[in-house]
Amino acid sequence: MGAERPLRFGLTPVFVDDDEALLAAFSRYLGEATGLPVEFVKRRSYQEITVLLLAGRLDVAWICGYPYVQFRDRLALVAVPLWQGSPLYRSYVVVGAESPARTFEDLRGTIHAFSDPDSNSGYLVTASLLRRRGEDPGRFFRHVFFTYGHRNVIRAVGRGLADGGSVDGYVFEVLRRIDPSLVDACRVLRRSELFGFPPVACRVEAEKDEVVVALRDALLAMPSHPTGRFVLELLGLDGFTVSGPELFDGIAANARLLARAA
Amino acid sequence: MSSLLRPRHWPLSLRVPLLVAACMIAVGTIASWLVLAVLARTQEAHLRQLARTALTSLGASLTPFVERRDVWETFDALDRFVSRREGLPATFAAVVLTDGTVLAASDPRRFPTLEPVPADWRQLWSGEADLQLADAAPAALARHRLSIDGVPIAEVFAEIDISGLLLERQQVFWALLLSNALLTLLLAAGGYVLVRRMLSPVPQLAQAVEQLRRGGKIEIPADLDRQAPEFRTLFLRFRAMAEAVEERQTLLARLIEEERLAQLGRLASAMAHEVNNPLAGLLTVVDTLKRRGEDGAVRESALELLERGLLGMRNVVRAMLVAYKEEDTGIPLTARALDDLAVLTRHEVQRRRLQLEWSNGLRAAYEIDSGALRQALLNLLLNACRAAPIGGRVVFEAEERPEGLGFVVEDNGPGLPEPFRQLLECPDSAAPPTSRGLGIWTVARLLRRLGARAEVTIGAEGGTRISIRCPARQWRSVA
Repeated sequence: MGAERPLRFGLTPVFVDDDEALLAAFSRYLGEATGLPVEFVKRRSYQEITVLLLAGRLDVAWICGYPYVQFRDRLALVAVPLWQGSPLYRSYVVVGAESPARTFEDLRGTIHAFSDPDSNSGYLVTASLLRRRGEDPGRFFRHVFFTYGHRNVIRAVGRGLADGGSVDGYVFEVLRRIDPSLVDACRVLRRSELFGFPPVACRVEAEKDEVVVALRDALLAMPSHPTGRFVLELLGLDGFTVSGPELFDGIAANARLLARAA
Repeated sequence: MSSLLRPRHWPLSLRVPLLVAACMIAVGTIASWLVLAVLARTQEAHLRQLARTALTSLGASLTPFVERRDVWETFDALDRFVSRREGLPATFAAVVLTDGTVLAASDPRRFPTLEPVPADWRQLWSGEADLQLADAAPAALARHRLSIDGVPIAEVFAEIDISGLLLERQQVFWALLLSNALLTLLLAAGGYVLVRRMLSPVPQLAQAVEQLRRGGKIEIPADLDRQAPEFRTLFLRFRAMAEAVEERQTLLARLIEEERLAQLGRLASAMAHEVNNPLAGLLTVVDTLKRRGEDGAVRESALELLERGLLGMRNVVRAMLVAYKEEDTGIPLTARALDDLAVLTRHEVQRRRLQLEWSNGLRAAYEIDSGALRQALLNLLLNACRAAPIGGRVVFEAEERPEGLGFVVEDNGPGLPEPFRQLLECPDSAAPPTSRGLGIWTVARLLRRLGARAEVTIGAEGGTRISIRCPARQWRSVA
């Protein structure tokens, strides 16, 4: 492990990635725990981070379950966050607080905001739901657009830019705590079934690298370290765990459904 | 009260400051209006430039989003543009596609995404200018056209809050108003003090004029060199005029005295004649008494003649005494006192062989300055006697009227000359007398003192009738 080589950690909006205080504490903790300088890498879309990870330009990345299942043969799980005691979360369909919509069907013909085309909660869940109903998102909704961030989906719905949006349930709940005015402008219309929480992944061939191992150990040890606990508190998570690929079977099934329809 | 409402009656020390204040208000209003107009134009030009720069920059970042119809990125850019409010205080921004639909707006509830622009808004901002001020709201609308290779793809609209500019204008307005008001007040107060100071000789002059009118000692400021040239000249000329008036008064008093003495001489002559006439008879009676005094009948007749003659002489002397009392003795006017005038004119009547028609209708005593009245009437009677031709006619009438007493002195002479007539009828406006007509002028002065009015009628073929109306009331003894 070269002392000069930083740990390159790719981030996506699967969590509240725009909280600078959180990132600073997270970086400090990982640096102390691994003994390596940590370099967080952010891009606009999930796809860009996934490409960087697959290309070996990143050591690890906190990605969504959907890209993971898409590249399950090339990516290995490093750790999976624990939220509310389990490595699971839901996708929410949200509408404006004053919206007359009471069922998902009420959103027909409206404008819908997705988070990212490679987001499970922010796209795949809703798209596959419609597929199962024999609907196409582009036709069910009058117009759809991507905001490349769960926070942006909530903002778009809350401000009235979109009538509804598909959003990460975990991000929504964390934001409810740290930015209530943003979330209060929205109302949850539908909660999905549980899916595997967005994992921290690496390339399969890098799984045994010291850097990756050190990072996994650091993530797993977070609850036992003061800075780690502080970071977890900011993240709204209980900790990290190790899990097998089967945790993401539900997402994989939806991905296959969508791929077949395409 | 009515004179207070007429500016012409206001003192100069008030009118000048008010005029200064009015001028300042007019000048201040015009200057303020110009300043505010220039400020408004400058603000608008500045706002236009600011809006152009801001929207050009925004448009450059928006163009790729608009090109791919990216609702979110367009909204995000507009939202940041509005919330940043740096430089341009935009409250609302929207991108409207060429087909009139809204791609995104900073307030999607106001401009729903992918919906046509609200009709009322389109109507409100119907102009084509890059910057348009709203009629009602304190807002301006700026627009910028987005195009790619010269092909328009959309328009960016930004609603700009100009309440800050309006507040600035309002502050400037109030600053102008207050400074102008303060300046006006100061100038008006300064004008008041200055005019009061400049006009300070006027009250002294007015006092001197009043002293002149009352015949008192005239006080002219000694330090004339400290006065303004205009007032120094005025004081000097006034002093000269006062001295001339004083000289004239002295001369006039002397003339009056001479006239009085002349009249006295004439009356003394008349009295001597009146006394002399019976004197010869009395001496004859005395002679008769010496010679035939032992005859009782003769003596009785002589004594009777003697008594009548002496009584006549006593009447003449008493009339003279009463007529030439200097002051108003407070003795009421009686019919008999008037009849004395007939005695005093008798000599002139006889000398000119005139026919005196005497009608004294007074039956009571009257509260009036009898000395002044008798002197005035005596003068008029003597004038009438002199004016009437030899053997002519002189009429005197006295009667009681509801408003007082009425007298008429009439002669059949050639008629009173016009200047004398004016002197009698309008003693205030008539020219000052020369040595001729001094008697008439004296009558006029006496009549004014009595509050009496004279009316002169000149007959077509000569003859003068002077009617006098004199306020008086019947005398009641305090006893």
